[in-house]
Formats: sequence, C-alpha cells, structure tokens
Amino acid sequence: MGNKQTVFTAQQLDAYQVSSAQVKLYHRYRDLAPQLVPLDYTKEPDVKLPYELIGSMPELKDNPFRQRIAEVFSEDGEGNMTLDDFLDMFSVLSEMAPRDLKAYYAFKIYDFNNDDFICKSDLEKTLNKLTRNELTEDEVRMVCEKVMDEADLDNDGRLSLEDFQHMIIRAPDFISTFHIRI
Amino acid sequence: MMMMELRETCSDGPDRGYHGYQQSLRSRRGPSRMSRDGPPHLDLASSEDEDPPSRTPQKLAMPMGIKKAVRQLQHMQVPVSSKRTRHSRALKHFYAEAKETLAILIPWRKAIHKIGGHFGGGVQSYFVFLRFLVVLNFLSFLLIAGFVLIPSVVLSSPNNTPSIPNGTNITGKELCMKYDHSPEVLPVFYTFFLDLLSGTGFMEYTYLFYGYYSNTVAESKGVSYNVPLAYLLTASFYFLFCLVCIILRMGNVVRVLVTTGSGGERGYSARVFTDWDYGLQGDRATGLKQNTIRYRLQVDLEEDRIRLRAASLSPGQTVGLYALRALLNLVVIALIIAAFFGIAEATSFSQREAVKWTGVVGLLLEFLPSIVITASNFVVPFLCDQIARLEKLSPSTTVIVALLRAVFLRLVSLGVLLFTLWSQITCSGKADDTDCKICRYNSAQYQCWESRVGQEMYKLTLFDFLTTMVLLVLVEFPRRLLVDHCSCKLTRWVGRQEFLVPPNVLALVYGQTVVWTGALFCPLLPLINTIKFFIIFHCKKATLFQNCRPAIKSFRSTSSNFFFCLVLLFGWILSTVVLIYSMAEIHPSFGCGPFRFSPTMWSVIQASIDNLTKTTQDFFNIIGSLAFCVPLFLLSCVVLSYVAALASVYGKSVAILREQIKQDGRDKQFLVKQIKDLTRILGVPKHEEDQYDPGASWGDHHASASPPQYLPNVHSFPSASHY
Repeated sequence: MGNKQTVFTAQQLDAYQVSSAQVKLYHRYRDLAPQLVPLDYTKEPDVKLPYELIGSMPELKDNPFRQRIAEVFSEDGEGNMTLDDFLDMFSVLSEMAPRDLKAYYAFKIYDFNNDDFICKSDLEKTLNKLTRNELTEDEVRMVCEKVMDEADLDNDGRLSLEDFQHMIIRAPDFISTFHIRI
Repeated sequence: MMMMELRETCSDGPDRGYHGYQQSLRSRRGPSRMSRDGPPHLDLASSEDEDPPSRTPQKLAMPMGIKKAVRQLQHMQVPVSSKRTRHSRALKHFYAEAKETLAILIPWRKAIHKIGGHFGGGVQSYFVFLRFLVVLNFLSFLLIAGFVLIPSVVLSSPNNTPSIPNGTNITGKELCMKYDHSPEVLPVFYTFFLDLLSGTGFMEYTYLFYGYYSNTVAESKGVSYNVPLAYLLTASFYFLFCLVCIILRMGNVVRVLVTTGSGGERGYSARVFTDWDYGLQGDRATGLKQNTIRYRLQVDLEEDRIRLRAASLSPGQTVGLYALRALLNLVVIALIIAAFFGIAEATSFSQREAVKWTGVVGLLLEFLPSIVITASNFVVPFLCDQIARLEKLSPSTTVIVALLRAVFLRLVSLGVLLFTLWSQITCSGKADDTDCKICRYNSAQYQCWESRVGQEMYKLTLFDFLTTMVLLVLVEFPRRLLVDHCSCKLTRWVGRQEFLVPPNVLALVYGQTVVWTGALFCPLLPLINTIKFFIIFHCKKATLFQNCRPAIKSFRSTSSNFFFCLVLLFGWILSTVVLIYSMAEIHPSFGCGPFRFSPTMWSVIQASIDNLTKTTQDFFNIIGSLAFCVPLFLLSCVVLSYVAALASVYGKSVAILREQIKQDGRDKQFLVKQIKDLTRILGVPKHEEDQYDPGASWGDHHASASPPQYLPNVHSFPSASHY
C-alpha cells in the first residue's frame, strides 16, 4: 500500500495512533471513487460519496437493510457518507464494538420513519425485508403482534430503545450477527 | 504544516478527541430527537449550538465529573493484554480456526445448506441423516478392510486347504464338508447378470462372502494373523462402533433440544431482530437466509395456531379429541398386527404349497411372502397417513408419529424374513430332523448357509436400490413432465409431488438394518452400502430440485433428528439379536468359512484364550465370573443414577434461568411504570428524564462511548476538520 506514504508518515502514525484498520478503511473508501477522494486528507476536504457508490460495496450490496444502514450513519440522513461516517459505520459493525452501541444503531436502522420508536409499520417493513415479501399479510400481522407482545414493556404499542435493548440482552448471538468483516 | 496542526490537536489530548467525537456524532443527528444526547446519553458539550439556553450551571459542572469517569472507563475498556488473557484469546482463536478447517472436511456442506434454504429444515434433516449414514458406512468399511480384508488378501496362502484343528471329530461328516461353488461349465449368457444381481455363481466364492475366508492362522514372513479371531472381533467391534456413533449423535441432538427448548421459546422478537446475519455476501446466500427465516417463522406460526386451537377447545371437546386419538392409535396397532399375521400366514402357506406346484404358479407361491410384505409396506403407511390427518397434530408431531408407526411395520417384515431363513437352515430348531441330524444344519439345501444368508441380504440391498432408482426414473420424472406440459384436470389435481420425509427416512433405516444384519456374512456389504447411499444422495437431491415443489408446511427439525436416530437404534437392536444368535447358537458350516470346525463361532475366542498365558486366562476367568460381574453391575447402577441426578439438576437450572429472564422483563416493566409515575408527579422535564434514567444501568450508558474507540487505539484521523 504505497499510498500510505502520502497520507501519513510513520511518525504521525505513531504520534496520532491511527490504526492500520482505519488506513485500510480509508483505502476502501477511496477505491469507491478514486477521482473524488483526494489522497491527502490534511486539508479537511469536504467529500461526500453518494449512496449509490456506498450501496455497491460487496459487503453491502445484497444486504436488504443497506439503505437504512447508509441513512443511519450518514450526516445528511440520505445515505451520502463522508469518510468520517464511513469509519463510524464499520467501527460499529466491527467485532469489537460493545453490545449496547450495536443495539443503539440497530434500533436506528430498524426505525424506518426516524421517530425514535419502532412502531407497527416499521416492524412490518423490517419483516418484509427479512423475508423478501414472501409472507402473507395474515402472517406478517400475526408476527408483528407477537413481537409487540413479547418486547413492548411499557405497553404503548411501539418499541422504545429500552425495550429493544432489553430484548437484545436475551439474544446471545446478536453481536456475531450484527457484524460486517472488512 | 500538517504536522503542526496535528500537534495542536494532539496537545489537547484524549479529552478533545473524545469531545470532538461527540460533536461529530451529534452533528449528524439532524432529524432525530435523540440527537441532542448522542448514543451515550452524555451531554458533554459546553459549546453546543443546539443547547437550549435553559441549561443550568449545575448541569455544566456535572459533565466534568462524568468526563473523568468516562475517561477512566475508556482506559479500562482498552483490553489489558495480560499474559493470561492473551493466551486464552490465542487459544480461543486457535480452536475457532481448527473448527473451521475441520468443517471443510464435512462433505456436501454447501449442498445441504442450499437444500435447507430452498425446502426448509425438515427436508434438510433427511439429507443430514443420509450424510451421517454414508460417513458411518464408509468408516465401517475402513475398519473391516483394515482388519479382515487386507490381511486375508495379503497373507493368504496359494493352496487354500482347510486345516483341521486337533481334537475335532469329523468322522461321518464328509457329507457336510462338501461345498460345490464352482460355476457352471457352459453358462448361458444372461447368467452373468443374474449372478451379479443375486450373488450366486461366480460371485459366491469371492471375498464378498463369508465362504471365501480361510480358517487358518495365516502366516507369512514371520507375521502370524489369526483370521477367524480377527473376523469375529471385527464384526463385534463394528457393531459397537455403530452403537457409539448413534448414541453420540443422539446426545448432540438432545443437547440442542434441551438448551434451545423445543423451538417456540426463542421468541419472535429475537428472530426478527437478531436472526439476520449482516456478514452475508452474495445474492444466493442472502436469498437462502431469507428463505430460512421465512420457513422458521411459518413453522412457529403454524405451531402457535395449533396450540391456540387446542387451548380454545372446551373441556368436552378436548376429551373427545383425546378419545379419538386413543381410538385411532388402537386402530393403527390393529392394522400392524393384522399385517404381521398376514405375512406369517403367507410365508407358511407358501412353504407348504410351493413344493406341490411348478411353473408360474409355483414361482408366484415362492414370491408370495415378498408380495405380501411389499403390499403391506405400501397400504398400511398410506392408511396411517389418512388416520393421522384426523388426529390434528402439529406437523412436527405428525412426522414423528408416522415414522414410528411405519418403522415397526418395516422391521417386522424383515424379522419375518429372517425367521423364515432360520427355520429353513436349522429345521426350525429341531436337531433331530432328518435333514439336520448329521451336520446340525440343513446341509442338503445349504452347503454354506452363511454365504446364503449373506446373499439374501445382498439381494435385499440391491433390490431396495433398484426400486428407488426405478421409482425415480419411471414415476417422479414423468410425473413432473406430465404436470408441466399437460394441463388437464387430473394433473392439476395431482400436482407436482412433495418430498415426503418419513417414507424416505424409513427406507434409509431399513437399508441400514439390512446391511447390519448381513455384515457378518458379507463383509463388503458396508462398502456396497456406502456407494448405494452416495448415489441415492445425489439422485434424491436431483429429484428434489427438479421434480418437487417446496413444502407448504415445514416441520421443526430438531425433535425429528432425535427420532431418526431412535428409529435407527431399533434397527440396530434387531440386527444385534441376529448377530448374537448366529454367533452363539448356530453351528457354522463345515464346508466353508473361517469357523469351519468349531462348534459355534464364539468358541474361537475360547480357543484363543486357551492359547494365552495362564495369568491372562485367570484374568479372563475372573472377569467372566459372577464375583466380578455383580459388583460391576451395581457400580454401573450407581454411576447411572448419579448421571441421571446431574441431568435433572441441569434441566432444573435451565428452567430456572428461563424463568429468571421472564422475571427480569416484568421487573423492568414495573420500573418503567414507576419512572413514568414519578416523573409525572415531580413534573421533571422530559429530556432530563432521558439522561438520568435510573432504570437503566449506569454502566450501559458509559459503555456506549464514541464508536471509533473500538477500532484499536483510534481517534478519527481527519479530525482536523472538527477542531
């Protein structure tokens, strides 16, 4: 990776403790659009990659939630990500992020209308994305009812972040499934 | 200049970095109400634009203390790489890698995964079971080849004269020693195929059957190998090995069953929100995963629907349903007993009458038992399926019940066949019968009865295989072609076929039981069975994808896996009974085989023990005596009761833990309600309530610090923009 030389010197890497993982991510980000992303990041360039490029990454291409992921982590909420957003996203989705942080962002991903609650319509959209719209209406309705019964602690008909986190505690494999290796 | 900028920002240290991070995260949260707080609910900003001016000085002071606490926690969160943790982590990593590399050795992993995605867990469990049987048969073949076949081949002497051990009286038994196995001098051209299919003729006197193995202690280049002893011990060890494999597999399945509950307790919310694997790449993998999730949800919904319906019945209706089920079970038992009597009657009728008739009628009478067996194998399961529809059980239970019912029938018919053979070989156990008086077995009909039994099992295996192939080619493929190309009413009503798991599993169990029964008499049968099951796997997979429609209702595979193994165990028990009886009771043939001149097969072991030293003989005598066996039995009882107690304790703790999880949920509900009431009473504004939420643990919030901390040792590097 010869480009490393132009972005940081070894001294800077030491002093500033930029990890190799981050440098790798920077190069992945740059590979999406080499003509837009400059080699030299010291002059604070304001570069945003559009959602179409982010969504075409092999790690995200087939994920049914890729649009929501990009929207949640992007600054403008539309899926256009700066390098900062990009790093945040893969940091949260890495294996070292703590469970509560992942739960927080998972909640935001499943909250389609951004009202800080997962309501019935959000659940239905999640379910349809999970099963590729192949469940019948009846089945979707029943599953949503059961999910609300199980997870809604304060009985307001929608899931708040606390409800969601409480449910995540009971699912031991959440950390390994909410994980993208890059 | 970059260095200078960096040094400036560096000088502010982790504080600024963290602080800057908070800002960077916050500035992203445009529309959301939670944006003020950011993920950790820690409002460290002193220069935040969106801060409401009502923020009191007290609140500003507080964050400083929090900042310190957070910084401490951050340092704590950086993994302390002590030697022990490094070692344990390295060990864990090694185990994970080893598991992954070993998993590559498992055959057909991708194929089975694809089947599970397209057709659900139920059909997948059939293929998993088939793969287990292929591996089991292959390992058994390696065992037999290593200890019996290869030594026999390598160490066989060119002149195969049987050595008569000292002290056996064979006067008058010359008739018994006659064994005419050479093929006909001028065979008709089709006898080759007939011989191939039935194991007679040129195939009889080969390593395939028992009759070819010598009874000598083979000696070559100073290495002596006791072939008869090896043959017997290998056969016994083969059975024990299969038992151990089955029990281990059952143990694994039961463990999964107990820990995850029998399915439905996992909860829909966990399935919807945590089942999706974000690491999946590729359209096919994601499609399969989506299908799998859909199938599991449908299975759960179906079971819940049935449970709801059962719960909604009035007591009178419930009693009526149970009475109906009991009655139907009695009907099924009656059907099976009727089939059993039918087979026995047909067998004895055929034996009596077949000698009186010749030609086509004689042939039909000879095959009457097989015809009756095959007919009952089709009719009775069909009736049982219709009956099962009336019982209104869940799909998983229906599959298990159908399997248990059909397996008894199949194994009973095999048992009748074996009984017929036995009565012919030993003249129904009457040692004084004219045919059996001299040699203690019917030497007129059976010059080498072990090879004959081996041939019968070989014929059954081949016939089973041919039937499967013929059905596939002549029934399943044409059915699909017909349904696809001809749209008349009949084809639309019949439709594409569905892959029915119970009959297929039953065929596998039957085939494996036949192989076990015949393994003593036909040592290469496990190899033939490996090849047979291998071909069946690929053919069934092909027919599944080409001809079958996906199941409308799938069933839960965890409990059915256990029952497949249980049914296999029944088959194993039947073949073990046959093995023990043949080894201990029936006189081996005089004309062939490794046990030619011993009174029973088992006596070879006694003879070899007599050849060992005195101390070893005493040792074996002590082990065999009552003074040793009774204490051993008592000790095993004690160990068994200890293990049973341990198991019940674990089961109870699992139940307690589950109850505790439910209780936690109720506690949280209660606390949330309390908070709402208190905030209403105290009139505290809502955003503070979000921050100082006493219901959630303090640790939770501090743990959710800024994201890039969790890429090792990181601050964001284009942070110049944020300072």
